[in-house]
Amino acid sequence: MIKKDILSKSWWKYLCVIFLTYTVIAGFLMPVPALPHLHETIRNLYFHVCMWFAMMYIFTVSLVYSIKYLNNPKEDYDIIASQSTYTGLVFGVLGLVTGALWATYSWEGGTGGVSWISDPKINGAFVALLSYFAYVVLRNAMDDEQKRARISAVYNIFAYVMMIVFIMIYPRLSNVDSMHPGNGGNPGFNSYDLDSHMRLVFYPAVIGWLLLCTWIASVNIRTERIKRYFHNI
Amino acid sequence: MNQVLAIIQRELQHELRSRKAWLAILLYTASTVYISYLGMQGSTETSTHNAVFWLLIIFISMFATSGSFAGRESEMFYIYTLISPARFILARLLYNGVFLLAVSIIAFICFQFFIGFGNTNLLIFLTALLLTVWGISSLLTMSFSIASKGGGGFTLMAVLSFPLLVPLLITAQNLSTMAIGAVNTTGCGGYIATLLALDAMIAALCYLLFPYLWRD
Repeated sequence: MIKKDILSKSWWKYLCVIFLTYTVIAGFLMPVPALPHLHETIRNLYFHVCMWFAMMYIFTVSLVYSIKYLNNPKEDYDIIASQSTYTGLVFGVLGLVTGALWATYSWEGGTGGVSWISDPKINGAFVALLSYFAYVVLRNAMDDEQKRARISAVYNIFAYVMMIVFIMIYPRLSNVDSMHPGNGGNPGFNSYDLDSHMRLVFYPAVIGWLLLCTWIASVNIRTERIKRYFHNI
Repeated sequence: MNQVLAIIQRELQHELRSRKAWLAILLYTASTVYISYLGMQGSTETSTHNAVFWLLIIFISMFATSGSFAGRESEMFYIYTLISPARFILARLLYNGVFLLAVSIIAFICFQFFIGFGNTNLLIFLTALLLTVWGISSLLTMSFSIASKGGGGFTLMAVLSFPLLVPLLITAQNLSTMAIGAVNTTGCGGYIATLLALDAMIAALCYLLFPYLWRD
């Protein structure tokens, strides 16, 4: 029997649709503070930042299930871990794209030319994505299901720890200037005076994107469950 | 402890016996350094020297590590029955660390001889080299174990380990830039601490995760 759990319930999917509709409408229409350089591009906060939150969240899910798999090798743990990682990659790529778009219009004086700048956080995110693409390569290199599950779980834990070091800890250590908050002498995110109007959109946006991320992952996971189910009979 | 020492001794014997492997590594080191010398003639830019040096260190490490693993699967089956995985990886990390350190010091000497860093704070530079190479060797040992289980060999190992090496290398490059400039070395303590923490973390991960690669 194919497993049924919260992933096949539909109430949180309606919630996701509501939150994201609100994000898009309010995100483009609500007032935002007029800041130098940023101007209206600050609205990208509701999209760009949420992509990274969603990616970190789904990679963490993947890490938890990889550890669970190593403790107790159940096939379902491997399905959740691998499909979560694939979903996380999509959000990571979207995060880079939205970031590049934002950088084009707000950094370097808004000349609209530069989209890739050497910034500790960008380097970190890019390398983290590379290591997760390596995870995909590793998974595709092996045919035996149990071996694949175990070895990719080991690599996943390794990659996650290095990613945390690289995108969370390293930018704070380095004395390189960063455009991102919380790095290179900039204030952290919370002490950033997020406008109260923006909070009204930002927090629902985060929840909405996290739910969408879970939704996409759940479709992947459930498809994979069905595939394995028919493969095994 | 005796078992760990025995493994290290056996590795060393294996390495010394195959003169081909030793010579290959030396030749690889000398020729890559010489090629970069030919390409960089006249360049006095320290940042270029720095970048090329660490690039050489990665490739030499990869070459050296993969050589010490290749073609020994049958031997490993015998070792599996004798020793616990935790002890095996401990011995492996120690041996590979010392081995790569020796190779990278040779590379450093070659580099100084052909290209030269100029006015360098040797103490800081060698600390950076030591700590970084130790981390690289643990990471490569682990990713080679993963890659060989995955049946992908050298290519897979490169794909798996390059992204993971970046944190180490960036820290090392920052530190060695300070050493080469020999101007302002006030902030180097933080980088050394970062490198130490990274090394410890990688070693801990290897120690914890290797047993799962062991069973088959």
